[in-house]
Amino acid sequence: MSIYLPIAELSVNIFLLLSIGGVVGFLSGMFGLGGGFLMTPILIFMGIPTNIAVATSANQIVASSISGTIGYWRQGLVDFKMGGVLLIGSFFGSILGVWIFSKLVVLGQIDTVISILYFSLLTSIGLIMLIESSQVIRDRVRRKTVKRKIHYHNWAHKLPFKIKFYKSKLYISAIPPIIIGFVIGILSATMGIGGTFILIPAMIYFLGMPTSKVIGTSLFQIIFVTALVTLLHATTTFAVDAVLAFFLIIASVIGAQLGVLAANKLRGEEIRALLAIIVLGVATKIALDLLVEPSEIFNISVIRALF
Amino acid sequence: MNLRILFFIKLIVLAFISSASALVIGSDEEEIYIDANFSGKNLLVFGAFYSDPSQSRDDKSDILIEVVGPSEDVVVRKKESFFGFWLNSKSVSFNDVPGFYYLSSTNEITNEFLNENNIGLLNKKDTQLIDWSALNIDWGNVKNQKEKDTFYDALIRTKESEDVYRKVNGEIDIIDGNLFRSYIEIPNTVPVGQYKVNLYLIIDNKISNEYSYNFMVTRVGIEEAIYSFSKNYPLIYGLISLLIAILIGWSGAEVFKRFRKV
Repeated sequence: MSIYLPIAELSVNIFLLLSIGGVVGFLSGMFGLGGGFLMTPILIFMGIPTNIAVATSANQIVASSISGTIGYWRQGLVDFKMGGVLLIGSFFGSILGVWIFSKLVVLGQIDTVISILYFSLLTSIGLIMLIESSQVIRDRVRRKTVKRKIHYHNWAHKLPFKIKFYKSKLYISAIPPIIIGFVIGILSATMGIGGTFILIPAMIYFLGMPTSKVIGTSLFQIIFVTALVTLLHATTTFAVDAVLAFFLIIASVIGAQLGVLAANKLRGEEIRALLAIIVLGVATKIALDLLVEPSEIFNISVIRALF
Repeated sequence: MNLRILFFIKLIVLAFISSASALVIGSDEEEIYIDANFSGKNLLVFGAFYSDPSQSRDDKSDILIEVVGPSEDVVVRKKESFFGFWLNSKSVSFNDVPGFYYLSSTNEITNEFLNENNIGLLNKKDTQLIDWSALNIDWGNVKNQKEKDTFYDALIRTKESEDVYRKVNGEIDIIDGNLFRSYIEIPNTVPVGQYKVNLYLIIDNKISNEYSYNFMVTRVGIEEAIYSFSKNYPLIYGLISLLIAILIGWSGAEVFKRFRKV
């Protein structure tokens, strides 16, 4: 059974769509990631135009991050003040990101730029996950426990405009979180990702936030970044496909909840290593598409249809 | 089939008013609707060579059917290798290119004939010299003639592979020597808008008679409603998309809350 996507203007198999949403949702629930970094390239591989894949992915992440935030909020693990400060940066970042995006569409370079960005991103994530999970497996074999520093004092504490973040027990400048938010905003708008995997390490290492509050706070701010990105894309690039988003959301919300359940019952490292290999596989496919001489070196796009 | 009855009435009427060669035609559709399940359609075009049914078609007369779809502007981009990466580089914009083009004839028609009578788009593909002045093109930084030809060929090639440009012959059925009938395949990828059907009766390599009519291709259904809503009210469309995401995300968390506590 296939369904016609009104904005992408093509028919896709409904079960394929639900499986993709479900699997990506499951992985994101399991590892606490947004899943956009897998969703967008998979949609592109399916033949969905790049701009629609990016914009629709942002819309889908709104749903999955709300679902996640509620869970963390109930446990009191969301620092709303920190989320708000991050959002100031994200607001301007996503406006700039959508502007860059629409310029690249006009120049005809959006596919290439997205491919290069995704290749770099997925390669880094894949390698980091692979190294980290193999270390954990090795440490477990040697029965070693890793000690972590609770608090970091770095340059973030020396800048002006200091703010007290009671929930995170921090007294730091507002500038680093605003800059981090800004970068996440740009990435979210151009790549259709929430940016959890960049946001979480940045919040831990640059801001020195306690690890327990990091995931909830990042999910909280991602709701608003991706919501803004969705609105900006809907109004400027007209690339949000509501039908595509609807099926992806349904499947990914269910998948994410099952992923959370599975994460509590399964040992993560082996699956994490497997995910790392999947991520690297996707990165390789993107690289090949860029490097191998295409069979058709011309491509055409309709820029204006007369009615 | 009211149109068919109408066609025979036309045939009889015309038989009385002219004894010379005439082209009488009809079609079974005036509007084609594309919905989510549309998988293409065979458009029927039929007619008669001569108004006098007793007069049979001689070998010298041919029928040419041309279907021209709504215009669109198209950018053709060429990928080039930069340090091993295949990137879009040069681009050419072709303006007012038909989104659909179909040319069908009883016998093969020569390019000279098509050029002489200013018919065709695909015919230019086979000729060495393309009359660029007839087309509205922004060449960008593509300067030489050979390179221009490659862009033009790429446009035609892509449109042909999408089944929206076709040139065929021998697909027109001739019945009783005087009547003709042809099914024109309209694939589901065609653009919406007004289509023009031009029919030519060719005798001794000259256009003896011609007839044109229009039909519409329209999108219908819920998908069309969503599409036009997203273009006409983008902000509300965006907000609704968000609302759906929020509601599903929220209810997902609520529904599974019980399971998680176990």
